[in-house]
Amino acid sequence: MIKIIATAESEAQAEALLRAGADTLYVGGHPFGLRMPRALGTDQIQAIVQMAHALGKKVTVACNALMHNKQIEKLDSYLSQLAEMGVDAVTVGDPGAIFTLEELSLPLPYIYDAETLVTSAEQIEFWMKRGAAGAVAARELTLTELKEIQAKLDQPIEILAYGPTCIHQSGRPLLTNYYHYTDLDERSDSDRGLYLRDPKNPDSQYPIFEDEDGTHIFSTEDLSLMAELQELYDCGLHTWKLDGVLLHGETFVKITALFAEAKKALESGTFEPTGFCNRLRELQPLSRPLGTGFYLKKPDDVK
Amino acid sequence: MRKILNKPEVLAPAGNLEKLKMAIRYGADAVYIGGQAYGLRSRAGNFSFDEMREGVAFAHSRGAKVYVAANMVTHEGDSEGAGNFFKTLKDIGIDAVIISDPAMITICFNAAPGLPIHLSTQASATNYKTLEFWKSVGLERVVLAREVGIEEIREMRRHTDIEIEAFVHGAMCIAYSGRCTLSNHMVNRDANRGGCAQSCRWKYDLFEMDGTTAKTLVPEGAEPFSMSAVDLSMLRHLPDMIEAGVNSLKIEGRMKSIHYVSTVSNVYSKAVDTYCADPDHFTFDPAWEDEIWKVAQRDLSTGFYYQVPTEKEQLFGQPRKIPQYTFAAQVMSYDPATKIATLQQRNNFGAGEEVEFYGPGFVHFKQTVRDLWDEDGEPIDRAPNPMMTITMTVDQPVEPYYLMRKK
Repeated sequence: MIKIIATAESEAQAEALLRAGADTLYVGGHPFGLRMPRALGTDQIQAIVQMAHALGKKVTVACNALMHNKQIEKLDSYLSQLAEMGVDAVTVGDPGAIFTLEELSLPLPYIYDAETLVTSAEQIEFWMKRGAAGAVAARELTLTELKEIQAKLDQPIEILAYGPTCIHQSGRPLLTNYYHYTDLDERSDSDRGLYLRDPKNPDSQYPIFEDEDGTHIFSTEDLSLMAELQELYDCGLHTWKLDGVLLHGETFVKITALFAEAKKALESGTFEPTGFCNRLRELQPLSRPLGTGFYLKKPDDVK
Repeated sequence: MRKILNKPEVLAPAGNLEKLKMAIRYGADAVYIGGQAYGLRSRAGNFSFDEMREGVAFAHSRGAKVYVAANMVTHEGDSEGAGNFFKTLKDIGIDAVIISDPAMITICFNAAPGLPIHLSTQASATNYKTLEFWKSVGLERVVLAREVGIEEIREMRRHTDIEIEAFVHGAMCIAYSGRCTLSNHMVNRDANRGGCAQSCRWKYDLFEMDGTTAKTLVPEGAEPFSMSAVDLSMLRHLPDMIEAGVNSLKIEGRMKSIHYVSTVSNVYSKAVDTYCADPDHFTFDPAWEDEIWKVAQRDLSTGFYYQVPTEKEQLFGQPRKIPQYTFAAQVMSYDPATKIATLQQRNNFGAGEEVEFYGPGFVHFKQTVRDLWDEDGEPIDRAPNPMMTITMTVDQPVEPYYLMRKK
């Protein structure tokens, strides 16, 4: 059974995403959730949980930040609130958050999501033995590797099926530092829409922004596995995240609806990728090219 | 008089056997090295098992320890043979392994029970519950992420008794180190498997999109965007590190030279010994800092220890020129009767040049090269050949393994 997880930036968008066919909504924000489209407070999360549960759907809350002492100190009460409102799962990327969950022994399953650090079945088994209900695979894995990993595990691993890939997190305010150095009066938030380009690679276009967790840089292309969904389905890679961290409002809902339609087509054996890919390209913002990331590379291509 | 009894160790990098021995002679209490696989420094000199045996025998005979970095983030198949690797390290007498990948931790526990494991900085440990987590897994030590402040370390120490290792000197990742895949995405080189291409130190255009047209933000004639960090040096702040409860003071640089490793080990061990012997009457000796600048490759800063780094802790534009010293020769023997030292040449030098000798325990003196003889006792003007043996008169007594540098 395919499961579509979509980020939600507001109650209104959450409702639209549920109607569009998302199975699980993914919400949260600073100081515990990393790189979410918008930070949502506990009141908003509670409303979204009620909305999702009324429709038989689920909500996962991001607790995947690298936490410093002052964050981890506040995590206890946050997790307790999430458990109380019936949140279905949290993501964690810092083992300190796992330690906190164990101390509290809350009925709150966690999914291990440390971005770049989940690259083998043996690692996932380590976290499962320590109580994890699942894991999110690194974006730097090839299909060959993902298949090998999935074949060794009972639980479907979660993979990014659509959206930007974070390729760098710095604890430093890299844009602000640059603005100070060059006397620029500029914004650095994600809505400012800034990019980096490596002059040696004229096609490169790396989104960059700053928030309370530091500076984040993303890959040139939005990942899209639309053309590869049949293969994902066939090898048991059934948990797909659609990440709207850089894509707001109605467009992201439409893209989610398209993936939900693809899911139905797959499950009924009528999936035909060309039409879906064309429709995705029409929805995709011009400033964000689509690509397949590491997915179609050979493991040996990466040294 | 107060003394610090459980003095933190000075932990130095050792890219090969010669550097390992030199680091320990120059005061390092422990060294970390790489094996033939599973590390992150594929281009640093790495140790064969035989070299490890020799290194461990040397270190242990001097009360020093040897750690092996096996901090690769493994993909399927990469961990093949790791069990035998860890078992062999344990048999060799390696004192600990440095790992970040939980799959490798599991393999190490199973194959080499009792071999202590230190969590690599690649795992970005930034709070005390994370330290407690790794303690509960059975690790002996955590190397902190380079993003923690000194006050955060104090707080950690109040909450956990696991050993804490923290970087005090050397080059730094500008990212949370395990969370950077710039190299992977830009040049197909996996930073977490030893392929880092240092993409953060490149220059970039910074721009916005106007429809499909890129509009640069970089002012006319200004420096392009970059993410290059200056280096770390906590030399002036070692009392803070020691009093915060750090157990191991780590120096970066398995790719660095003998000149670098000996100098930095010498300075840090001298400063730590001096502080711990009488912390209440400690004064900082500016000569230590002068010495560090002789091997510095970039400007130096205190990283995240006192504040979030600003633009001053990044390299923009032309780096400030730092006078470079060259490793010229190593002392092989010394005859006190004639005051003549036998040296092995490491870089071209000659009569008339000012050179500086330095030795373990922060011994230094400068002199001019007055005379030089080759192996056959023939007078020569210069020592041009790598590794050639020469003799010269020295102004002060020297010992084997003293090193000679020149500007």
